[in-house]
Amino acid sequence: MSKQKLSRRDFLKVGGAAGAALASATPLGNLARVAAQSDQTINVLTVGDPWNLALQNVTDQFTEATGITVNIETLGYEALQARLINSFLTKSADADVIAVDQMWISQMADNGWIRSLDDFISMDSDAHFDDFLPECLYSLSTWRNKVWTLPIASYAQGVMYRTDLFEAAGLDPLPASVADAGDWTWEDYFGILEQINGMDLDGTSMYGTTVIGYQPVPVVHMYTGLSASYGTRWFTQFPEAPWDFTPTINSDANVAALHDWKRLYELSPPESINYLWFDAGTRYSQGDIGMFYHWTPYFYLINNEGYLTGTPSPVVDKTATAVLPTRGAGGDQVISLGGWSLGMPSTAANQEASWQFIKWATGSEAQKAMGEVNVKGHQFADFSRQSNYDDAGLKEIYPFLDTQLEMMKLGDGKVVRPPAPIYTSLEGVYGLQINQAMTGTVSPEQALETTQILFQNILSGNQMIPYLVESFDDTLENTKALQASLSGM
Amino acid sequence: MPSRYTFQRRLPWLLLAPSVIVLLALILYPLGFALRNSFWFWNLQTSPVPLYHSGFDNYRMVFQVTPFAEALKNTLLLAGIGTFAQFWFGMGIALLLHTHLRGMGLMRALLIMPTTLAPVVAGFLFRYLLEPKGGLLPWLLEGVGFPVPPQGFLGNAGTALFSIGLVDTWQWTPFFAIVLYAGLLSISEEVLEAALVDGASAWRLFWSIALPLLRPIAAFLVMIRFMQLFNSFDLVYVLTSGGPGTASRTLSFNLYREGLVNYNIGLTAAMTWLVVIIVSVIINLYLFFIYRKREW
Amino acid sequence: MRRMQTRQRLIVYALMALVMIFFLGPILWFILLAFRHPSEAYTLPPQLFFEPYLGNFSETFVDPGNNAPQLVSSVIVSTGATLLSLPFALAAAYALSRFAMRGKEFIMNWYISLLIAPPIVFVIPYFIVMSRIGWAGAYRAMIVTLQTLAIPFSVWLLKSFMDEVPLDLEEAAWVDGANRLAAFFRIIIPLALPGIIVTSMFTFVFSWNNVLFPLALSKQSTTTLPVGTISFFASTGVYWGHIAATAVVAMLPPMIIFLLLGRYVVRGLTFGAVKG
Repeated sequence: MSKQKLSRRDFLKVGGAAGAALASATPLGNLARVAAQSDQTINVLTVGDPWNLALQNVTDQFTEATGITVNIETLGYEALQARLINSFLTKSADADVIAVDQMWISQMADNGWIRSLDDFISMDSDAHFDDFLPECLYSLSTWRNKVWTLPIASYAQGVMYRTDLFEAAGLDPLPASVADAGDWTWEDYFGILEQINGMDLDGTSMYGTTVIGYQPVPVVHMYTGLSASYGTRWFTQFPEAPWDFTPTINSDANVAALHDWKRLYELSPPESINYLWFDAGTRYSQGDIGMFYHWTPYFYLINNEGYLTGTPSPVVDKTATAVLPTRGAGGDQVISLGGWSLGMPSTAANQEASWQFIKWATGSEAQKAMGEVNVKGHQFADFSRQSNYDDAGLKEIYPFLDTQLEMMKLGDGKVVRPPAPIYTSLEGVYGLQINQAMTGTVSPEQALETTQILFQNILSGNQMIPYLVESFDDTLENTKALQASLSGM
Repeated sequence: MPSRYTFQRRLPWLLLAPSVIVLLALILYPLGFALRNSFWFWNLQTSPVPLYHSGFDNYRMVFQVTPFAEALKNTLLLAGIGTFAQFWFGMGIALLLHTHLRGMGLMRALLIMPTTLAPVVAGFLFRYLLEPKGGLLPWLLEGVGFPVPPQGFLGNAGTALFSIGLVDTWQWTPFFAIVLYAGLLSISEEVLEAALVDGASAWRLFWSIALPLLRPIAAFLVMIRFMQLFNSFDLVYVLTSGGPGTASRTLSFNLYREGLVNYNIGLTAAMTWLVVIIVSVIINLYLFFIYRKREW
Repeated sequence: MRRMQTRQRLIVYALMALVMIFFLGPILWFILLAFRHPSEAYTLPPQLFFEPYLGNFSETFVDPGNNAPQLVSSVIVSTGATLLSLPFALAAAYALSRFAMRGKEFIMNWYISLLIAPPIVFVIPYFIVMSRIGWAGAYRAMIVTLQTLAIPFSVWLLKSFMDEVPLDLEEAAWVDGANRLAAFFRIIIPLALPGIIVTSMFTFVFSWNNVLFPLALSKQSTTTLPVGTISFFASTGVYWGHIAATAVVAMLPPMIIFLLLGRYVVRGLTFGAVKG
């Protein structure tokens, strides 16, 4: 086993060099204290997202600074979930640090499976807690007025489009900043798609856009981006107190969104009904898609021709990013904000070492180092801290960071996909119905009517309607107040 | 020596006991566990223990919140048509092998390869082959003018379930072929010769002599295969996740979603029992008809 | 059917060629994928000849080689499941083969009837029980639960082999003064040894190809190779090169075993019901 670990290290060193400069900049106070108890090992359980690759490439720096060895285990999404539930049930100290999907926070916190990080944060000034974007903390990490995790990779959503195609079609560039997006609406978006769909660009027949249609999780991820922007809310009242989970999923706003989602699909390759996240990204990078919206990691992932191939895509210099349109001109905007954070299981054996790792990996320096890793392309720009967005060097590598930051600041992960404890069950039926509407088996009205009834059944069956447990006013304002108090301000 | 005699009488039961006990523990325990929990509200995402007795709520929920009817229909179609197709394709190949031409031995040995694959691997293999943009099969089919659905075979509601059946048929037809071939070999030459002397044509020979003689084997194979296909999960998991819509949802996939994605233990338990009852009824009906006819 | 004309032969060969292409072609195409550079997975028109790329194998099994321990785990789990099933199955098969018992048919059918329930319904109770007794993620959790498939199959197949060991030989041994136990080990075991080996090989293959139990009951350090293949099917991308490389390695042992088994394949696949 040790031989194998060694070789992995060698492999990772390729990218490690990029961020080597940071070790000297790391505040040494706490690190030195931990380093004294040398020969420690922590187990980190993560998911196979791009940020994980970047993290593995810089972890040696943490070990050099603290003497703590880090074992990173990478699992697929469902395997990670199964493994976590399994280890929580047995209360076995299986991992010291875990990757937490934003949807899991509520159940993990309510069941006492993970430890609140409040005390660690308030006692440790060099966590620079005030540097985090409150929207990221609110969407990924807080629940019932406590911080449970720290964001390691935050994703918002935005638009990517082909500049050469826009030029050929005589279209103006799209707004890269909310300030310029006064009248940039979804109707404009559809107008452009209808114009470019079927156009011929250098011998390639273009599709207007591509959707992500695979059920249930992928289609819900992308569809909710549109429907939240149209004003859809899942429940009567959440996250504001008192919580009322009576579903409102068949609202007029959502019916309008689902009708337009079908339009979007008609302007997409037919096979996109079976697309997962990366399928849409890969399709765009292959060059026959005019414009699409997606999670912000695709702002950089589309630079690769395919996943981890290391071959630059043919669209690499012909792409620009833009802000997501609104429903009415200058209207309200709600953007999907999701991603991964690091948490500490309540059974973690070595809490101090776990905290050191969480603090380090979500810290400004490590995040920058991850952004600078260049193995088969630069593969990490999913920052959650203001300082990273202000960093000139990172902006050089990822020129879209300003747009991304604006999208983050309009993000609301608790509204777009509410982290109710039985979210996966709701997502399952929702995704199925959206997918059904796409195939034309049912009308958008029928699909959402069915969803409404199923939500009602599932929520009542799981004792969520009426909600008898204590609510909490889990708003962005309260997260900001919490952030200020924990930062000692 | 009465004591020795008693021991001799009990010995076979003592020998059977360990395996029976292990299997009872491994199979009846989970079924009992499911029976109990099907009457309890228990969602692992909200509680590590069952919360309260909920009567038949879970059974009602199966029909209210999961696409049970669609899944049952798809499962029956998949298992029924799949088994039927595999049997007859297999029979055809067995007849080809039975010509005993040079090289048939080698071909028979190689033919079984698809059956040796893990179903997940077979799934990946065909996901790659069927990929709408760049996959080999759509490319070949389009080349010969065969209509390929624009969403791809796995993304089209009319072909998704069919494609899963095709992959399973690809994997298990060789199994039928070589077993039925072995069955053909066991039919004595004299019987066939006698029929030929009678002037029976090749077709009649097959229908009225070979097929009835193969019946016991065939009945057994079809039953085993039907059960396996009815319960199969891996292919749906890798190829379509039940989509598009509910076009390729199967009962096993529903069980997987409720159990290992949503962690609704009570609901899954209720569904488990519904599925076990359905399969048992089908198998018993099948055995009843097959064996009643044979005795006649 | 004996004497075929050339034309008939040609037809049979042509049909057989189609059959072989249909059944083996996909496997060969997939093996080629394992040797393609990831960026060439979907090149059209398809390239039959290309410069082989070994990176898919070296990245998965050598450096960083995350799948190499999974190969070891697969061997441990499959061998463990096979060895554990043998004593149980041998005893039961001996009883069913050598004793006149009331309800023998019923017992034989009982073993098979256990296959009626979908394996996935077992996974969740196993998952919870294994968690509670602290076996979660351990090899023994997978080895024990695989017995649900291994024992019924082995009992049937072993019985069919033991039925072929002549009773006279055993009786001769009793006359010589050996008790049943001694006769069992001196006569039955050696004469049924080919059958025991064949049975073990099949159990090994079935355990090797099982994905459901390792998927739910393993942890990263104990997980098996097919599960490793699945995990390359990630939300961020399907890494076909790695999927193909690990799948090709995973498919080799069963293929080799089936080729070695030769004439026993039919018998094994039919639980001993068809002698082949």
